[in-house]
Amino acid sequence: MGSLIILIGAGLLVPLFFKGHMIIAKYIAAAAFAAAAFNVYMGNGIDLPYFVLTPDTQLMEIVVLIVLAATMMTFSGFERPLIPQTLFVGAASLAILETNNFLMYIVLFEVIAIISYVLAANIRSKLNAEGAIKMFIAGATASGFILLGFAMFSMITPTFNYSEISVHGNFALVAFGIMLAGIFYKMTVVPMHGWAADTYAQVNHAAAAILSATIKVVIAVATFKAFYLFMAAYPTTTVWLFGFFAIITMTLGNFMALFQKKIAKILSFSSIAHAGYMLLPFAAVASMYSYTGLIYLGIAYVFMQTSVFLILNDLRREAHIKTLEDIKGLYKKSPLHALFFTIQLLSLAGIPLLAGFISKAVAFYAGVDAGLWPLILIAALNSALSLGYYLWVIKHIYFDEPVAGTHAKITMTPGSLVGQLILLAGTIYFGIFAAPVFSTTLGL
Amino acid sequence: MMSVELIFGPMLLAPFVYFISRGAEWVAKWVALTLFIGLLAISVDMYQALPADGGFLFLGEFLRVPGFDFALTLQVDALSVIMLILTAALSILVVFSSWNEKHQGAYFSLLIFFAGPIFGVFMTTNLLWFFIFWELVLVPMLFLVGYWGGERRVYAIIKYFLYAHFGSVFMFIGFFLIYQQTGHWDFMTVKEAMIVTPALIWWFMFVGFAVEMPLFPFHTWLPDAHVEAPGSISVLLAGILLKMGAYGLIRFVIEMMPVESRHFAIYIVIIGLATTLFAGLLAIYEKHIKKIVAYSSISHMGLVAVAIATVSYDGLSAALYEMIGHAIVISPLFIIAGWLHHKTHTWYVDEMGGIMQKAPYVSAIFVLAGMAALGLPGTMGFVGELTIIVSAIKEFGPWIAVIAIGSLIAAGYVIWAVRRALHAEMSPVVAKSHFDMGGFEFMALVIFAFFIILFGVYPQPIFDMANSAFKMFGGM
Repeated sequence: MGSLIILIGAGLLVPLFFKGHMIIAKYIAAAAFAAAAFNVYMGNGIDLPYFVLTPDTQLMEIVVLIVLAATMMTFSGFERPLIPQTLFVGAASLAILETNNFLMYIVLFEVIAIISYVLAANIRSKLNAEGAIKMFIAGATASGFILLGFAMFSMITPTFNYSEISVHGNFALVAFGIMLAGIFYKMTVVPMHGWAADTYAQVNHAAAAILSATIKVVIAVATFKAFYLFMAAYPTTTVWLFGFFAIITMTLGNFMALFQKKIAKILSFSSIAHAGYMLLPFAAVASMYSYTGLIYLGIAYVFMQTSVFLILNDLRREAHIKTLEDIKGLYKKSPLHALFFTIQLLSLAGIPLLAGFISKAVAFYAGVDAGLWPLILIAALNSALSLGYYLWVIKHIYFDEPVAGTHAKITMTPGSLVGQLILLAGTIYFGIFAAPVFSTTLGL
Repeated sequence: MMSVELIFGPMLLAPFVYFISRGAEWVAKWVALTLFIGLLAISVDMYQALPADGGFLFLGEFLRVPGFDFALTLQVDALSVIMLILTAALSILVVFSSWNEKHQGAYFSLLIFFAGPIFGVFMTTNLLWFFIFWELVLVPMLFLVGYWGGERRVYAIIKYFLYAHFGSVFMFIGFFLIYQQTGHWDFMTVKEAMIVTPALIWWFMFVGFAVEMPLFPFHTWLPDAHVEAPGSISVLLAGILLKMGAYGLIRFVIEMMPVESRHFAIYIVIIGLATTLFAGLLAIYEKHIKKIVAYSSISHMGLVAVAIATVSYDGLSAALYEMIGHAIVISPLFIIAGWLHHKTHTWYVDEMGGIMQKAPYVSAIFVLAGMAALGLPGTMGFVGELTIIVSAIKEFGPWIAVIAIGSLIAAGYVIWAVRRALHAEMSPVVAKSHFDMGGFEFMALVIFAFFIILFGVYPQPIFDMANSAFKMFGGM
């Protein structure tokens, strides 16, 4: 309970300091994240019925809190309304990761959805509003599906406990299918991805960082836990359902990203493609490594994706960099931004010794272990294809000369530097040391 | 003995060198030179320390992951130590030949970084870590060619990167299938645990290594990458990266799956023959001097593939000799071709002519290396090609002697290129160019020339090494 109170309390407290002393608000938020992470580290979960803290959830929660803290540090003055939202996202993430009750899962899912609407709509500009409305309409539709499915499901199940829910019978199958349709909206699975490509590119990039990284990963992990029994009961259906959506999601995401001119769009489609990779462990649920793969993929992805969107946020704020044309010669304008961006992009592309590679390797291995090697071959070829557009961005950063008449120098604020260093440390740490993830998720 | 430091040391050192050399750029190349000399000394030391029975020297195990048998196991045998020695020695010569490169801080930092993963590739026996280093090698290459290369450098390097990456995807799935079958990531245990290998795994692994070697029909990245890379980086590409492919083929295909390899040997032979002859014919047709050298390089790797396909002691020794010979012979050709372009601002042999009169010493080394490439007795090329043909005839019967046509074609393109570029009437382009070369660059060329002749007349040291590397295939 402690972590939740700290995070929500700090979230309610910080707006008092918005006028004049924003730095105090940031310190309070940072302290709240640190206290919550420490509390989780000490093994203190939300001590209520329907919530349990297991070692794997513990790791995931600490990662989420660290990433959110790093995100919060990079905020500049006009992004201050996002600080409390970040804290609330943290609290909701802890709750949904710890729950073992299906009703709680649905409720918290909606809570996260509402926080994310506010998050998207916080900064006032026309473009931002357009993105937020798109997200709201898509999200409301998705909620409708989820509630319909859940209502059907609640008719047949005697209990909502994850390990005892009733998953047998055609009625349950239909109910889960309808719920998945809604959840796929949130996870930006093709063909329910249309809103994401626009929203991530249009709303403030700091909000997009939280939406496309933290929230997506938390939902994916929570969904895996909630649907585990269902997936285990219908192995063939699971493979075909998740395998099919995984492939079309990653393929379409990667191909669309190849044709984009705006960097934010490239990152959005890359995020959609990663949703496809995240479905692979679902399809490979028969393997003992599937949950490890999903957690690892989530941890790696949350560091990388947050970092790239925050760098883009910096660049857009300081120098109005939006397209590939604008980013030419970035290494001369701001070597630090260029370096961070390059490393995180290489990690997203799956270059080794960075978290992106080893996490994909584990998730892919889960697929091979479950006997789905053709699926994994397609996924790995997709990952190779994605290198095309990541390298294309890097090419513009390092191998092209800056366009005349643009900003000559871009500075990095201290807060941004600290935030990026934390995210980079995460990417490199989890790229070399795989033992923590394995030992917590395999129960060793 | 040092082990994991050799891999992560250079990678950590590189950023420091970059920041230190921002004020004084000359620091970087001296650090690089010192590091590579140190690496060479350590590699030679490792060679001395190898167990006498031809097995592996265990260097340590790091970063063990519970429940996944995934650990950075470092072990070396004679084959890998030979590759380490070759890598370190070539790196030293690369430093010499790029002594006057622009933006030295970044350039030499990347070279230093490059040393880490390449040592990792040859030192680890864990399949997944091997793959990690294999992929990581590409990153410094991306920046070295992408920033310091010629006009179409970005196209060339991205093409190479994507080719290598797509190829390695197949290898990656192959490794996964092996782990799924055996439950081990380590080369040694896999070899013991794997009784039958499905053909699929063999082909996946073969394709992965064939792209890097490169073998027909996956060779098209090489001419582009070599032409656009600066001369000294071409040396790295030809001397080390192609060897990485051949090393992988020997270690993870031939040694790990000898039964299947014998079964599929004929396909490797056909692909190798096609590579040799096709690339040789392209070289004759080509007027671009660096492309001639590049195709010659591909053609020689085809010979290496044929030698590897014999899966016999003789053939593998010949392959190892040719791999080293290829590195020593092709490297000076690349350096000189790049230098000629730098001085004359043309790539085409037709527009050159008469260079022999203006730059006699460098031209002499070019002729020597060219003669070695076509297999003139007394040079490294002769010993390599002769042993390959002999071992292949022994294994596959007399028809394989058609591979000697490759030598004939090589004579065609080398002699014709030498005639057009070096001996013909002096062209106006050459007449107005100044052919000066820095002392260090020239020294590198002389060292290459020295070894071409030394190992040509006295090949015994390399065959001694090969003897210890391939003992398990039965030796003398």
